[in-house]
Amino acid sequence: MDTHFAQRRRRDLIMAACLAVIAALVPLFVKDVYVQNIMVLTLMYAALSQSWNILSGYCGQISLGHALYFGLGAYTTALLFTKFGVLPWFGMLAGGAISAVIAMALGYPCFRLRGHYFVIATIVIAEIALLLIQNWDWAGAALGIDIPVRGDSWLKFQFTRSKLPYFYFALALACIAWFVTWWLEDSKWGYWWRAVKDNPDAAESLGVVVFNSKMGAAAVSAFLVAVGGSFYAQFVSYIDPESVMGFQFSLLMALPAVLGGIGTLWGPVLGAVILIPLTELTRSFVGGSGRGVDLIVYGALIVAISLALPRGLVSVFSLRKGAAR
Amino acid sequence: MTALLETRGVWQRFGGLVANSDVSISVGRGEIVGLIGPNGAGKSTLFNLIAGVLPPTQGSIIFDGEDVTRLPAAERCQRGVGRTFQVVKSFETMTVIDNVIVGALIRNTKMRIARQKAYEVLEFCGLAARADKLAADLVPSEKRRLEVARALATEPKLLLLDEVLTGLTPVEAQTGVELVRKVRATGVTVLMVEHVMEIVMPLVDRAIVLNLGKVLVEGKPNEVVRNPEVISAYLGDRHAVGA
Repeated sequence: MDTHFAQRRRRDLIMAACLAVIAALVPLFVKDVYVQNIMVLTLMYAALSQSWNILSGYCGQISLGHALYFGLGAYTTALLFTKFGVLPWFGMLAGGAISAVIAMALGYPCFRLRGHYFVIATIVIAEIALLLIQNWDWAGAALGIDIPVRGDSWLKFQFTRSKLPYFYFALALACIAWFVTWWLEDSKWGYWWRAVKDNPDAAESLGVVVFNSKMGAAAVSAFLVAVGGSFYAQFVSYIDPESVMGFQFSLLMALPAVLGGIGTLWGPVLGAVILIPLTELTRSFVGGSGRGVDLIVYGALIVAISLALPRGLVSVFSLRKGAAR
Repeated sequence: MTALLETRGVWQRFGGLVANSDVSISVGRGEIVGLIGPNGAGKSTLFNLIAGVLPPTQGSIIFDGEDVTRLPAAERCQRGVGRTFQVVKSFETMTVIDNVIVGALIRNTKMRIARQKAYEVLEFCGLAARADKLAADLVPSEKRRLEVARALATEPKLLLLDEVLTGLTPVEAQTGVELVRKVRATGVTVLMVEHVMEIVMPLVDRAIVLNLGKVLVEGKPNEVVRNPEVISAYLGDRHAVGA
């Protein structure tokens, strides 16, 4: 039975590697910039949702305020670059570190809350942060920050002529988030998180320090999401509070994981691959009059999938005996 | 040799309700001690105090020569207190083996070894065949055994069993009794709360009877069951003939 388990882990890893290689080859055939753009966003949301899944899926602490860490990553990178000339690569790490620290500082009071009360706290805190940034003049307030374009360069992580570098970075990010999850899944932390989600009292009686487990999950999750935010700032080269810290980002991080299979290894990837292209397409083909239609599509999808497959899309494949169910 | 567990003048009040008043008990190494008493006697509260779910209002708890009164549950587990819950608390979305691995991780940092250890414990508890099943798919008696297995995986010195035999069929209960004996044979001390007198009494070395939050009597099982005070506590004064 030990080998059975090890086999499954290895199969996941091989499958991920194959998918990554296939994804890396796609731009060789798909030259359309619009489609490439959608692919970048899909990979980015796969990475974000995978990171969100660590805290909310595995550890069971549902956060609807992860836009905060996304925005922190974006703002840290943009501010460091425009005000101090710090390269985005360092900005990314700084944004990740700041987010991880803030996630733990916020977790300190919030992890005493359970269930819905925790969710409400995450929403409120993200909204407060949004208001603060909107009124912070040095950081551009509501107008935001225009990241000056200084030509194509990996060093400055700016590319004006081609989307491809962004595509490969987003792919790398998605792979890293997936791999971190894969690795954590069979670590002490992975078991502790799932135990905390299922039954904190029983977990505590087995020597799991519930509070620390939640803090660990929050830090890892916030770090990765902030790196995603940094990437997004470079990708769009203009950020304002609403466009990187708005509530919709919190939802867009949660939805792929929820639709794909919350607390599973493959759920976020699967969810993102289906949801993001769909919303981008509906937005451009029917979304002219506003955001309404793509939101209707979300709603309809969520209702349909949660009715038909309460355990998410991964349950169709039943790849993971146990974990996916 | 000193006792493994000692409670010294332990009180627990919930508002105006006194759940435990001045409870002093001790459990020796290698013993199987039964904690019995009618509903509302304060057994589960005392269990929670020993396991560290909450600190007592007053009094102290000594485990293995150390004052653990203020230690949280996780740290008591680290020191060797394992427990089961009266209402089973399996990790329902995890497989049976994964449930036990959570317990095994406290003594084994390497995943491969923790997994192996968990498997051994499952074999010991007769659950190895169910290792890859989801905990949610187990029948009630198996869930009880999973509770025991999970606690055993933490390699406890003292195992607290909270009504693990209650609500089982006679055959299942008998399997449970044998499991408890096997556990003791490995050197683990057992303190068990139990309702069903006929099952517990042949199993335990010593019985402590709680009533209305106080220790009523303690002693050999056959003495305890004949004690008039115990009979009156369980059945009412009318039945305590000769009291």
